[in-house]
Amino acid sequence: MTSGFLSDLPLYASGLLTTLTVSLAGIALSVGIGIVLAAALRSPLLYISLPVRLYVEFTRGAPLTLVLFLIYYGGPQFGLVLNPYVAGVVGLGLYGAGTFAEIFRAGFNAVPKGEIEAADMLGLTPGQAFRHIELPQALGLTLPPSIGQAINLVKESSVLSVITLAELTKVAGTISSITFAVVTPYLTVALLYWAIVESLSRLGFYLERRLAVKG
Amino acid sequence: MAERTTAISVRGLEKHFGEKTVLNGIDLDIHNGDVLCIIGPSGSGKSTLLRSLAFLDAYDGGDVHVFGRMIGWRETPLGRERMGAKELADVRRPLGMVFQHFHLWPHMSVIDNVTLSLRLVHGVPRAEAEETGRAMLDKVGLAAFADRRPDSLSGGQKQRVAIARALAVKPKAMLFDEPTSALDPELVGEVLSVMKALAAEGMTMVIVTHEMGFAAHAANRVVFMDGGKIVEEGAPQPMFAAPKSERLSQFLQTWRERAL
Amino acid sequence: MDKTLSVVWPALLDGLVTTVAVSLSALVLGAPLALLLAVAGRGGRLLRSASALYLSFWRGTPILVQLLIVFYFLPFLGLQLEPVVAATLALALNTAAFQSEIYRAGLQAIPKGEREAAKMLGFSGCQTFLRIEAPQAFRIMLPALVGEMQALVKNSSLVSVIAVTDMARRAQQMAASTFRPLEVYASALVLYVAVGAVLAGIGLLIERRLAKGVGR
Repeated sequence: MTSGFLSDLPLYASGLLTTLTVSLAGIALSVGIGIVLAAALRSPLLYISLPVRLYVEFTRGAPLTLVLFLIYYGGPQFGLVLNPYVAGVVGLGLYGAGTFAEIFRAGFNAVPKGEIEAADMLGLTPGQAFRHIELPQALGLTLPPSIGQAINLVKESSVLSVITLAELTKVAGTISSITFAVVTPYLTVALLYWAIVESLSRLGFYLERRLAVKG
Repeated sequence: MAERTTAISVRGLEKHFGEKTVLNGIDLDIHNGDVLCIIGPSGSGKSTLLRSLAFLDAYDGGDVHVFGRMIGWRETPLGRERMGAKELADVRRPLGMVFQHFHLWPHMSVIDNVTLSLRLVHGVPRAEAEETGRAMLDKVGLAAFADRRPDSLSGGQKQRVAIARALAVKPKAMLFDEPTSALDPELVGEVLSVMKALAAEGMTMVIVTHEMGFAAHAANRVVFMDGGKIVEEGAPQPMFAAPKSERLSQFLQTWRERAL
Repeated sequence: MDKTLSVVWPALLDGLVTTVAVSLSALVLGAPLALLLAVAGRGGRLLRSASALYLSFWRGTPILVQLLIVFYFLPFLGLQLEPVVAATLALALNTAAFQSEIYRAGLQAIPKGEREAAKMLGFSGCQTFLRIEAPQAFRIMLPALVGEMQALVKNSSLVSVIAVTDMARRAQQMAASTFRPLEVYASALVLYVAVGAVLAGIGLLIERRLAKGVGR
């Protein structure tokens, strides 16, 4: 079984690479959309904040599996044909954006309004108040939950195997169908995921401590 | 008294929060050099009046003029419209404000709190701003705390930093919104001392406060509010000794009972 | 088009029954284990390490992988279980890890003084737990537990991968047979979201009823 494992190494490696890159892209897209959504949620205009609020609540209850099916299998129905990788990134991005939007909104809301009033009284423009007073504090507040959500998205990336993307979970399936050793590939892959999750967690703690000292 | 010029003038000021009328027609003139204390029971509209002077709360009727310019609203041929942010900041410039909860910026050092506006808004280079900042901190007795963080300070120290921060941009008048209400009793004195010193220097001050002792000894005018109106006003000592209105009399009585 | 879609909804609702059954069973099965894990934190070194290891694995790996490991590993233990049972078991083991955090936090939230007062009044540890700590902890934990149930419903969609005919599987079948994946998957999504909303509503109702009894 050991020689079998070594010959499977390139497969594991490519699966790992795919998992890492698709997760990273998905997280980045999620954060980007999340920022825009968070800004919309803070808008006093109801026709902007309400649809966004509905979207956030909708994505809360939607399983990633079905979101992916909708994009990958449903897309072609109206002309949107995406390969599994892109469909996966888009799926992760849309799926995770709602949570990031909530994290960012809560982070900015947590900055006491009085500090902004003090900034107003001292002549700072809204832009200056945002850059120097709100943003630095919001950053420190949103980092821990953001790392948590990033970790969630890495774990969720395993679902992309159901739309045939050759990431870690799919690779484990492929190897088990070749070698007929069923549990070992999945255990190996579990370990690899666990390693990624642990590293991200450690990174999170480190960043938290660094920001705490500054802030 | 020498010729007195008006710093802030208020005419027919009104403010509603939904169904409730919080300010019910206020007329007030604050002259340069005045130390005016606004006193009254909770819900009388004291803080709303003060905040309206700086247009931190938008007033609904009447007008407020700050050093000759109307604040918050612009009169046009078609009626009143809200001032833009830039114009509002410009009209606000001669005013400084100290808040009940200090509202220091916790992610910056004390000296950065004091100098941020000088550097960003007034374009003062960092070295010069720090010099001014440290001078202001020294004025409030906290020169040694310049490089500390706000969370390592006591409430009284934080409020004194807040005062230094407001003073650094050289305001012509200072507004204080219950500056000692959030402080432990033994820390109130250090803040009142700073305020008394400021008053003695001739700073124009409008203070919403429950500190009757301060009002009695440091203020030259007191305004008693109740139910959104000014009920009585005048010099503190005669007013406290012989209140003309029943409501002020009751108010002072409860204060005397508590003080004992 | 309407004709084909009228076939879809009954199929989805049929799958919904399986989805809810699997999720609820997993939640209930996982609860005792979660309680054990939460209490293990107060135990000896071996107990603490074992529970920490369990938590680290079940919270740090993807649910799909966990499902597949349990599904393929069971035959090695000599157990020939139906896919739906294996899936429920895997979900239960997973939710236990997350529920234990909720229970731990809930129990910690009760002031230590209440336990001491109970001790002084002669209550046994068990009585204190049942009559003093558990009722209060439950109120505190309710929102988080509702959240976990909502997560379970979402995660249960993965059991379709091991051929359990839950709502996700039904949706796949319907999408294939009607050639209208867009409408089918969109409908299924709406149903999942609706279930989540219903759960939230139930949670609020329970919260309000519990609050009436306390009058704090």
